[in-house]
Amino acid sequence: MKENKSTSLPKLPVRKWHEKLNFLNILIIIFLFLTIFSGKNLIQENRSADVMAGIDYFLKKFFPPDFSDFNLILESLGETFQIAIVSTFIAVNLSLIISLAASRNISPIWLVQITRMFLNITRTLPSLIWAFLFVIFFGPTPIAGVFALTFYSLGYLGKFFSEIFESMDIKVARGLKLIGASPVQAFLYGLWPNVKAQVWSQSLWMLEYNIRSASIIGLVGAGGIGMELNKAMEMASGFQRVTAILICILVIVIILDLLGQAIRRWITQKISPRSISD
Amino acid sequence: MKLLKTHELGLSRNGSWLFRNLNLQIPGGSLVAILGPSGVGKSSLLSCLSGSEKQTEGKIEFEEKSNIIRTPQNISPELGIIFQSLRLTEHVTVLENVLYGRIAQYGVKESILGFPKEDREIAYQILQDLGIDHLAHKWTSQTSGGEKQRTAIARTLFQNPQIILADEPVSNLDTYYSGRVMGLLRNLASQDGKIILTALHDPQLISRFADFALSLNPEHPEGWNLREINPGVRI
Repeated sequence: MKENKSTSLPKLPVRKWHEKLNFLNILIIIFLFLTIFSGKNLIQENRSADVMAGIDYFLKKFFPPDFSDFNLILESLGETFQIAIVSTFIAVNLSLIISLAASRNISPIWLVQITRMFLNITRTLPSLIWAFLFVIFFGPTPIAGVFALTFYSLGYLGKFFSEIFESMDIKVARGLKLIGASPVQAFLYGLWPNVKAQVWSQSLWMLEYNIRSASIIGLVGAGGIGMELNKAMEMASGFQRVTAILICILVIVIILDLLGQAIRRWITQKISPRSISD
Repeated sequence: MKLLKTHELGLSRNGSWLFRNLNLQIPGGSLVAILGPSGVGKSSLLSCLSGSEKQTEGKIEFEEKSNIIRTPQNISPELGIIFQSLRLTEHVTVLENVLYGRIAQYGVKESILGFPKEDREIAYQILQDLGIDHLAHKWTSQTSGGEKQRTAIARTLFQNPQIILADEPVSNLDTYYSGRVMGLLRNLASQDGKIILTALHDPQLISRFADFALSLNPEHPEGWNLREINPGVRI
């Protein structure tokens, strides 16, 4: 045995230098270099601010919070909710149709590419820019906010949903078509039941996201609590009111995050039930 | 007289033929077992017959009693398929998967309001016959491989088609349920005159339930062979 080991072991081929390069390690090194370079540029002597003075100013001007217009804040928060809910509802429905066209396993490649390009474009613009554009079209109204968040959500949901559809076994739907199902039935019975929990989960995440976004887009006049925030910031004596509004947004967002997490956890458990070996 | 015919049927994949010049005339009431080692083309032949894979050459026809000739593409509601991969919808109940067997008969109303009560009762009866009635309202994803296979079989039995194509329908079942399922398929052929083609490995099941054995030859694509098994001896 010993003799065999020393004489008949195959010679391990030597890798060439370029084969030894690890692409991930190179990326990490480039990223580190960029961080050092960027940090050096950002922290400059002549651009440094007096942080302590800033904190002092903030504490004096922004505290205590002014809740005197609490009802108005609640009303604006209500409008924020409505913008988020309506835009998410429209976006979910449109995205379901668009994502079918963007799924490689369902649609022809030319349609997939056109649809994905459209989704990429809608995703590239931040919600604030969409809001700015629609305020130009509709004026400073909540409708502008609804359109802005709908377009912004389309990009994300279209991508998420198409990825969900692509991860599914399309053979189930095709099998139903072979025994006479129409394309709609094949989707409803062969595909939809397997994806609906994930679609719900992503839609819920988008709703949470849109509630946060709907709080901001008012800064450019697209309705919701952001408009109140903007008004308060423009007033010389409105800083304490700004704090009150920010606290309300924070509380609502935390509650919604916790609620959303709980519901999504429940959905995830539902889509991955215990497995049984035969 | 119902008849499933293939004329000079051939399927080529990656430049080599799986089977060629396959000429069959299978009359109603027959159960044909397709034999051959793994990879010989049993599943591919069933795929061709079901219309899910286009043959390279030749024709497939289903002739009904009134001399109406149909192809796999326009016979779909009369074609029942038990896939090797089962193709069940995982996140619905076992009962719903069975009800999907008659999907071609249902319209938008059923999609919204649910399936007819009478159909649900028939489907439940079939689940009872296959010993999985206790799983009727359980999610399919929560059932075992053997239970899923019986669900797929129940779906085809509920569909009640003229032709059944079954790709190793008992591969996950124990001896008792293998015999029971093959017995049900045998009865459908003998009593209702259905045409059944099934890929099978178990020689005992073949000799006990099949009328004909179609052997595919891995060395010679044209060397297929159809022979009658135990003429006249049927359970």
